[in-house]
Amino acid sequence: MAKYEVTKTLDVMGEVCPVPDVETKRALKKMKPGEILEVLIDYAMSAERIPETVKNMGHEVLEVVESAPSEWKIYIKVK
Amino acid sequence: MAWTGLLMGLIFGALLQQGRVCFNSAFRDLRLTKDNYTFKIVVLSVALSTILFHFSAQLGWIKMNPAAFNWVSTILGAFIFGMGMVLAGGCASGITYRVGEGMTTAWFAVFSFGLTAYATKKGALNWVIKGLSKFDVRTTYAADSLYAPKTGVTVSSVLNINPWIPALIFAALCLWYVFGTKTTQRKTKINWILLGILLAVVSGVAYILSYKAGRNYGFGITGPWVDLFSSFLNAQKLNWSSLSVLGMVIGSAIAAIASKEFKLRMPKNPMTYVQVLLGGFMMGFGASIDYGCNIGHFFVGLPMLAISSIIASVFFILGNWTMTYFLYQRD
Repeated sequence: MAKYEVTKTLDVMGEVCPVPDVETKRALKKMKPGEILEVLIDYAMSAERIPETVKNMGHEVLEVVESAPSEWKIYIKVK
Repeated sequence: MAWTGLLMGLIFGALLQQGRVCFNSAFRDLRLTKDNYTFKIVVLSVALSTILFHFSAQLGWIKMNPAAFNWVSTILGAFIFGMGMVLAGGCASGITYRVGEGMTTAWFAVFSFGLTAYATKKGALNWVIKGLSKFDVRTTYAADSLYAPKTGVTVSSVLNINPWIPALIFAALCLWYVFGTKTTQRKTKINWILLGILLAVVSGVAYILSYKAGRNYGFGITGPWVDLFSSFLNAQKLNWSSLSVLGMVIGSAIAAIASKEFKLRMPKNPMTYVQVLLGGFMMGFGASIDYGCNIGHFFVGLPMLAISSIIASVFFILGNWTMTYFLYQRD
């Protein structure tokens, strides 16, 4: 069951560095305050880096869930 | 003694993987996300390596052997290499350790990188190096100096001063930057200061062992991949250099599997494979004509204060920023 009411899901699994980071930023720019972005990612470096980048942009990182070995779901609330 | 190459490669590969030490990210994030986390790891490591290399040379454990500076190819090659690493999704060491993580794009990138470097150093593209080598600047050092007898120019050889003077000033400036300025925070497995220290120690020990095995340089990526391809294609015995890069791939794979980070990763858009092949080509060509990649020049050459490595490092970063702008910053 989905824990959050996700507005948009961004699947960046398998993409080369830094596509996951850049696509996340681009997606967030198009979203409205209060909406929730779900990022599906399988790259450890980006999974560690994206939450910090997003916080610096002023958005809220709700949770980083490890959904499978080396796969994460990052939930971001747009501010 | 060639086996020590495998051992050092294993340790280095595991460290790069667990520490996510990618110079492409280090350079790019400074601009793209105003994030200096990875850059500070490598700068700290360079500062400590500077002291370690000079110390080892002082004790006679190594002779520092910086690459020749070339007015044309150092600048041109480094800029091409810097752009290539953005397309390939990693620097030379980055794509090497990602091979072990199961990143399929990196497999294509290293093949393109290694084969192009081979062709540039020994094959169909070798005329470029031959044509440009007349602009090489080398110098001769006294037998009792810290440097190999005939090698690339350094800050101390240009200024004609004791190598320790620029070495200590450079290391101090790096340390001031690392500890005196604000660091971006990030949750990681290994503390960044510890990681910077470990990388420098491994690099310093690798130089000594490589020297003992008759190969006068520290870690590299480009030359070692060429040597690995060479032994594969020409049935030559594996040497320190080829074993070190083989070790990096295996070390990274072991670390990735042990930490459950190994996964066959494939991008959804097949065009990505074309992009990384082109990136690998540019990296292989660039790193061959400028006599070094991000490891040979930035990680090992900067600590020796080689003029070639200083110029190359600047143009790696400029090339990286240029391609990052075209690929990721134009919205």
